[in-house]
Amino acid sequence: MDPTTAMYVSQGIHGLAYGMILFLVASGVSLIIGMMHIFNLAHAGFFMLSAYFTYQFVAWTGNFWLALLLAPIATGFCGMLMERFLLRPLRGSGVIGDLILTVGVALCIDALVKVIWGTANKPLSKPPLLQGMVHFAGLDYPYYRLFVIGLAVVVLLIMALLLYKTRIGKIVRAAVSDNDMVNALGINIPLLFTFVFGVGIWLAGVAGAAIAPILSVFPGLALQMGMDAFIVVAVAGFGSLRGAFMVSILFGLMNSYGVQFISQLAPLSMFIFMAIVMIFFPHGFFGESEEE
Amino acid sequence: MKKAIKWILWIILGIGLILIPKIFGIYYTNFFVSLAIMAVFSQSINIELGYTRILNFGHAMFFGMGGYGAAQALALIPGMPILGAVLCGMLGGGLLALVLSPLVVRVSGMACAMLHVAFNALFFMLAMKLRPLTGGEDGISGFPIPPFNIPGIISIDMTNPLNFYYFAVAVLGISMWLMWYFTKTPFGQIMIGIRDNPKRVNYLGFKVPESRALVYIVGGSFAGVSGSMYALFQNLFSSDATSGLNSFQPVLMTMVGGIGTFIGPIIGSAFFSVVEELARRYTERVELVMGLTLIIVILFAPMGFMGLYRDLKARWGKAPSLPKI
Amino acid sequence: MKTGKGILMFFYVFSFFFLLTAMSPIQATAAVKAKFDVNKMADMSGFDPNNFPNPTGDTIKIAIVATFSGPAAAVGEGFWLYATWAAYDINKRGGLMVDGKKKLIQLFKADTMSRPDQAKKICEQMVLQEGVKFLWGADGSHIVKIMNQTANKYKVIAVNMISLSEDLQDAKNFSPYAFMSWWQTSQVGRSFAYYFGQRKKEKKFYIMCQDYVFGHEMAENFKKGLKEYYPEAQIVGEDFHKLFATDYAPYITKIKASGAEVIYTGDWDPDATNLLKQSRAMGLKLPFAHIYMGNPATLASLGVEATTGLLIGSPYSNGNPAFKTPEQIKYHKTMMDAYKRFKPPYNKMDYMLGWDPLAMEFSWLLSVIERAGSVDAEKIIKTWEGDTYEYVNGHVKTMRACDHNTIQETYILEYVPPDQQRQSFNIPPYHWSDKSALYGPAFRVPAEKVLPWMDPNLERCKGKKPSDIN
Repeated sequence: MDPTTAMYVSQGIHGLAYGMILFLVASGVSLIIGMMHIFNLAHAGFFMLSAYFTYQFVAWTGNFWLALLLAPIATGFCGMLMERFLLRPLRGSGVIGDLILTVGVALCIDALVKVIWGTANKPLSKPPLLQGMVHFAGLDYPYYRLFVIGLAVVVLLIMALLLYKTRIGKIVRAAVSDNDMVNALGINIPLLFTFVFGVGIWLAGVAGAAIAPILSVFPGLALQMGMDAFIVVAVAGFGSLRGAFMVSILFGLMNSYGVQFISQLAPLSMFIFMAIVMIFFPHGFFGESEEE
Repeated sequence: MKKAIKWILWIILGIGLILIPKIFGIYYTNFFVSLAIMAVFSQSINIELGYTRILNFGHAMFFGMGGYGAAQALALIPGMPILGAVLCGMLGGGLLALVLSPLVVRVSGMACAMLHVAFNALFFMLAMKLRPLTGGEDGISGFPIPPFNIPGIISIDMTNPLNFYYFAVAVLGISMWLMWYFTKTPFGQIMIGIRDNPKRVNYLGFKVPESRALVYIVGGSFAGVSGSMYALFQNLFSSDATSGLNSFQPVLMTMVGGIGTFIGPIIGSAFFSVVEELARRYTERVELVMGLTLIIVILFAPMGFMGLYRDLKARWGKAPSLPKI
Repeated sequence: MKTGKGILMFFYVFSFFFLLTAMSPIQATAAVKAKFDVNKMADMSGFDPNNFPNPTGDTIKIAIVATFSGPAAAVGEGFWLYATWAAYDINKRGGLMVDGKKKLIQLFKADTMSRPDQAKKICEQMVLQEGVKFLWGADGSHIVKIMNQTANKYKVIAVNMISLSEDLQDAKNFSPYAFMSWWQTSQVGRSFAYYFGQRKKEKKFYIMCQDYVFGHEMAENFKKGLKEYYPEAQIVGEDFHKLFATDYAPYITKIKASGAEVIYTGDWDPDATNLLKQSRAMGLKLPFAHIYMGNPATLASLGVEATTGLLIGSPYSNGNPAFKTPEQIKYHKTMMDAYKRFKPPYNKMDYMLGWDPLAMEFSWLLSVIERAGSVDAEKIIKTWEGDTYEYVNGHVKTMRACDHNTIQETYILEYVPPDQQRQSFNIPPYHWSDKSALYGPAFRVPAEKVLPWMDPNLERCKGKKPSDIN
């Protein structure tokens, strides 16, 4: 491959890698909005929390792989606690009540992170196995980013299997389209909600753990991801995992090729795209119009 | 009799407002001005959110239009009177609302909320990007604050905090009164009707989309007023006042005070300002205090303080509970 | 809920260290009106930034205006350290003689939360309620504008010790009550341009800055500097990424393909760290010319190889070797002893190189107060205008009278592996850090080559040259 082609190809892979991370965060948001109609503003906070957990587990055990497994689970558990003890008592009080609660939780996460870990940048190294670059046909690419793509694909497959091949997945899908009906069938909706919320937060947790070695772990990490994930959900529509996936990848590619060709406008492009989509599809590309 | 008491209360309030600077000094006078700006900002969203159920989570755009409008009017046009600047701000907010209204009236619920967050994000990015127009992160600053001028009669220096206080109280007080009046007109009843049952209002022969648009424009205009007062007060208007976070602030205030009630946003703004002030003075962890306050308030008073008040009242006497948004 | 974008200067100042040049400019020493004297320093063994013995009553009141909460709380934490360090010393010595009486220094935390409205509130609270006479800060030029405005209104002194924007001292925003004691974006840009122009090793430059006012100002000024000092240089690319960007890979790929030899960046953390980290991970080995890529903790996590060759600009350094006199060694030891005693949050690696650059700025203010013999703003202004002050490492700063900008020489320092750091760190253990590359060769940029910008429209400066001190 000549260098120019190699450059375009690497930009494509960058887009894919970033899109995958976006998808991991956005899919959780989308799942929670789609099923529970909760606009979770603390989602990015959990993403950050997971990055800190990863840092902490690595500091304790020295094993990145263990941290990658445990940190998202711990984060998901925190999410379940939040759902059970804060969101559940509030159920039925409407969109804005949830909003205030999640803002409150987001603020608390920001503050607690600083209480526990301080304000310093927490550096986290990549596991030795994934350091270095792949050399293939004139293309140099870091292993770790390829690993992130792979990880996201695995998570995507697990989610797909869970949703489309298991009974619980069927129930979740049914609940997304009609909550009351599923409840009437005698299924324990509150428990299901706690579970789904936990899974959504776990997805953000996976993203947080995976990204920790790429970014510095610091108290503003939540802000870095929150907006981008939100945009994906807004464009894709609520509750559509397929949509979230496609839009994430699209944005990832738009970002990297945008930087390549229209660098000055690249930071804006996502927003402009979103605004245009929202004008013509207020419910997102793949979302359904909700009946009130 | 009741009317007399009302008048006495109004007079006491008026005297109180006049005396604030004398009693509390400049610092708390300015504290009061920023509180009042937030109260008007919150009230303007309450009209949309609480009275009509337009889920506008991008109100900082209108605030921003107001701020940039006023700041640029003063910076670019020599001899711009101070009220003219406020008017420019109001027009700025109203104009943006007018432009967006055809879109907004079509959607409702979560989609409307998302639409606003999206546009707000774009607006903020543009405010950062269009530096020649907005000054970006550093903002527009150092524009002249003209004296309040009635030609031939009076000219009051507005850089004096005391004079500015009276000016701000007058402008914000009048805005407040106008919004109150707006909710009390027959149209105000239609607004509430649209919130509670848009289809029925439609069957009654009222034009729902047009009414929603009108409310939206009114809300936007008064957000513009508060934005322009903010710019005059700070003598600086920077992009961070247009961020999405600044949109949530008034929503939170309105919600905590009691959405859909006129007094709610005022109580909410006061509550927030006081809690923040206390947290900052006596603790090192402002966010933690704010976060916990929000969680506690929403768990124990999901309809805000006014909701709590009505619930308590309903327990003893008869008063309708607030509708859920 | 605090926005991160408000953080303008989330940076690590600890990277600017103290060095004394052998050729310490004679002409400057002759003009120095005051200097920091290590021999007079008090016993610092009881110093703890977490428990600063803050005096009350009839004191000299100084507010530290900074972000103490939100994602950028580390900024306020640092400012508090610098100020308490200098104030503790003076208080231990019995305070300063002002208005006929020895007074201690009382410090206030003024939390701006990175928000202009909050900044206005807190500055007014400080001045009107606490009776503060000096405002010292602040991170973010819009915050500094508010601080200067407040100072101007209530006739107290404001010191901008960190924000580099030039318009703070321009005709529109200038206030006689506001001083600027750090350096400006044009001085940064021209320092680097002069360095590259003299070195003539690299020719192709890539500019990579944050997409907001400061980033664009940094880029503009570097280009202007190159035109002035290195016209044959070539800008092969110029990109601005959004603040707090997560993925730098597309930019890095572009830089790799551009054939650039040096990347010039104005990024501060976390962006600076992420940019460096991701560049190295993607095999981009070019040097960055930077001012905020100096967080020792991050450098250490990246290791020696990844950090070698980086170029930092400093308005504090004073050439090699770092320690020329026993006093300087004593000062450094005192500081390091204090660092070893620190408790959280101050025990982090970020402070391991010391904090003298900004503590010295605070000392300059204290010295001015002492010599003015008063906290009266007019007297302070009179003393400070045209003042020269020698920092502990011999670096000399001069306050230009007409627009309150600081004239000084600057340094460009190259990061080298630990075994080569001896040329700079000339006392045991003979390296700044054994975990990463750090300061090695130092290049001096004479003060007259990097004079601060002077607004020709500023009335007070009419008819003056930028080099005129008075």
